[in-house]
Amino acid sequence: MSTAPAATTATGRGSSRDLLRIGAEKRLKRRIVLVGFIFIVLSGLLGWRLVELQIMEPDRYLERGLAQRIRTVTLPATRGAIVDRNGVDLALSVPRRSVVANPGMIDDPAGAAMALAGILGTDIEVLEERLSSQRSFVYLDRQVDDEVADSAMALDLSGVYTEPENARLRPGDGSALALLGRTDIDNNGISGLELVYDNLLSGINGEMIVEAGLGGSTIPGGEYRVEPAEQGLSLVLTIDRALQFEAERLLADGVEAAGGKGGILVAMSPSTGEVLASATVTRGDDGVVRPSTEHKVATWTFEPGSIMKPLTMSAILETGTAAPDTVREVPGSVFVHDADFKDSFPHGTEEWSVADILRQSSNVGTILWAQDLGEEALYRQLLDYGLGAVTDMGFPGEARGILTPVGKWSGTSLPTIAIGQGVSATPIQMLTAFATLANNGRRPAPTLVRGSLDDGGVFTPIQTAEQIEVVPPGIARNIVSMMEAVVSDGTGTRGQVPGYRVAGKTGTAWKPLAKGGYGEDRDEVRYVASFAGFLPAEAPELVILVVVDEPARKTYSGGRAAAPIFADYAQFAVRQLRIPSEFERTGLDQVGRVMATTPARAFDLQAAEEAALSGIG
Amino acid sequence: MTAVVRPVGGSEVFPDGATRSTVAGGVATSGRPAFGAMGALSVFGFFVALLAMASLHSVLVNGQFEFDGLQDRLEYGQQRSQVLREEVARLESPSRILSAATGRLGMTPPPNRLYLPAVVPGDPLHPLPAPSENPFSLQVR
Repeated sequence: MSTAPAATTATGRGSSRDLLRIGAEKRLKRRIVLVGFIFIVLSGLLGWRLVELQIMEPDRYLERGLAQRIRTVTLPATRGAIVDRNGVDLALSVPRRSVVANPGMIDDPAGAAMALAGILGTDIEVLEERLSSQRSFVYLDRQVDDEVADSAMALDLSGVYTEPENARLRPGDGSALALLGRTDIDNNGISGLELVYDNLLSGINGEMIVEAGLGGSTIPGGEYRVEPAEQGLSLVLTIDRALQFEAERLLADGVEAAGGKGGILVAMSPSTGEVLASATVTRGDDGVVRPSTEHKVATWTFEPGSIMKPLTMSAILETGTAAPDTVREVPGSVFVHDADFKDSFPHGTEEWSVADILRQSSNVGTILWAQDLGEEALYRQLLDYGLGAVTDMGFPGEARGILTPVGKWSGTSLPTIAIGQGVSATPIQMLTAFATLANNGRRPAPTLVRGSLDDGGVFTPIQTAEQIEVVPPGIARNIVSMMEAVVSDGTGTRGQVPGYRVAGKTGTAWKPLAKGGYGEDRDEVRYVASFAGFLPAEAPELVILVVVDEPARKTYSGGRAAAPIFADYAQFAVRQLRIPSEFERTGLDQVGRVMATTPARAFDLQAAEEAALSGIG
Repeated sequence: MTAVVRPVGGSEVFPDGATRSTVAGGVATSGRPAFGAMGALSVFGFFVALLAMASLHSVLVNGQFEFDGLQDRLEYGQQRSQVLREEVARLESPSRILSAATGRLGMTPPPNRLYLPAVVPGDPLHPLPAPSENPFSLQVR
């Protein structure tokens, strides 16, 4: 049941209260409407802003959001190691830390410099200058030891921190430095093999794109892409670390004993052309003989002197001009064009065979036969041995040497070139020529690198040039026999190695002076003494060239200055390379007798045997 | 209070005058309780789903954390192996051995070298083992 409201009368106190109530309700309604309107407007504005952010220009904000979360990390490729032929590390990259700073965050550069100077071993002024720099990043010291980095961090200096870097280290100190070369502070090869094989060693940096939250932790399920770094390959050299070290040591001692200005010793396997050791020493300003930083084996040229004679003789035998036992009269001197040529020792006219001439290292006899041989034949033969051209080694700064074309030869060129003067060659060229004789007349391509090794241990050999036949094997064997006589009974007796048949040749060359010529008087003349030889002569496995630059007058000859170094080194090398002596070869034929070996060598032998067996299977 | 007796099936006249159908057996006829239960269930399901997602996320975060840790360990291990590799090469280098022998150990180079024979009785694949004890230790001496 409903009751109709009574008609209101606008009189009395009750009526005014009603009016007030009605007014209040109206105001309340208006307020509610107003507040509602405000809320609607605000909501509209917020909605509009949302539309603007989410629909109208989302990319800009998406980018800003991503920029805050996405972290791009460079994955640095580690530079490959350089290892010797047995896998021993000669140069490798090791993680180190660099101490760096943001100068803008440093309140007291002078105080910080003072605190850091003692730890980093750098001048306070230098550090203060760096810490006061206007830049936002400065290096204070690069690639420091962990202890140094930890000490610097322990100071807890605001704006000073460390960054990881790779340092290039050579565990063998300065050994083979001239050969290996150097890298700059950023690990780029700048000299030697580090430069030649920079691309192979460097690798390619990778990249990791990751979505990270506060504190750098990865957001699970977020963006995560990894482009792994391609690590640099390891370079496997033909060098043997022990042979290299001993070459440097014995050469330094030998040069010291000979009173020389410097020296070179280089050893090669004649069948493969692999360089086993390559040492250069020089006498410093302080008078101490130490390993050189220049790889003179390839970059330095010298007039070879009498070690050229076996090459001349091989041309004489090959062309049929003479046989080893062909005898001719050899006078004490010979006059050619406008010059008189003599032997290093006085003698009358002798009846000497070709072999005798080589054994005695007779200039006169060699010149007489070279005149019969002719300029063209000699020139071609020397070219075939590789003189006057860079080798396949590809070493930076390698010299060609000087072998003038026949058309430009003077009247004295033939006699002088035949005895190794008036022509220049690098030590590696001369060593390769001797390796040719030891290798049955086939010239090997000299190489310093066997191949590369990837992360998984897969070895890829490098391609080497084909061997070239320079002289027939029979001629090469004849020359080897003649050279054996040089060591057993000639000028090179100091090059003998107990238990081994050695073939070799001494060389004592005049050194050209800077002003031209070789010097007028005895005191002015400078020499280059050399000895090139190989062993065992019956089946050569090792060829060695020793050169002593400017030996003292009392020991200036190749037989005195260089041959003893050859002998000392060869004795060590045959043990290291497990080359059996003549006696030991006989012993090896007996049942139960074997070549002494090391556990590492035994492992290699076992692996080779298993590989052979699996190949048969 | 008035009791309402509902017939089995058919229709019923309510006090407001409206007529509503009823179902047999006297089961609740209103939709409101069913919606309520469904709503409660939905809310419960929603929270269960949220909880499951949170748990899953937690597992994921843990996994990622572990993965990051393993990666850090791998990187550290690789760096450490490089450092040790360099140290081994340095310790084995002939120059260091020579300087230690002539310096710390006071050895002098012999005037003449005697090389041992290279051909020996034995088996090349199984050479004599290295001495098990340190020959330079005080006990051995």
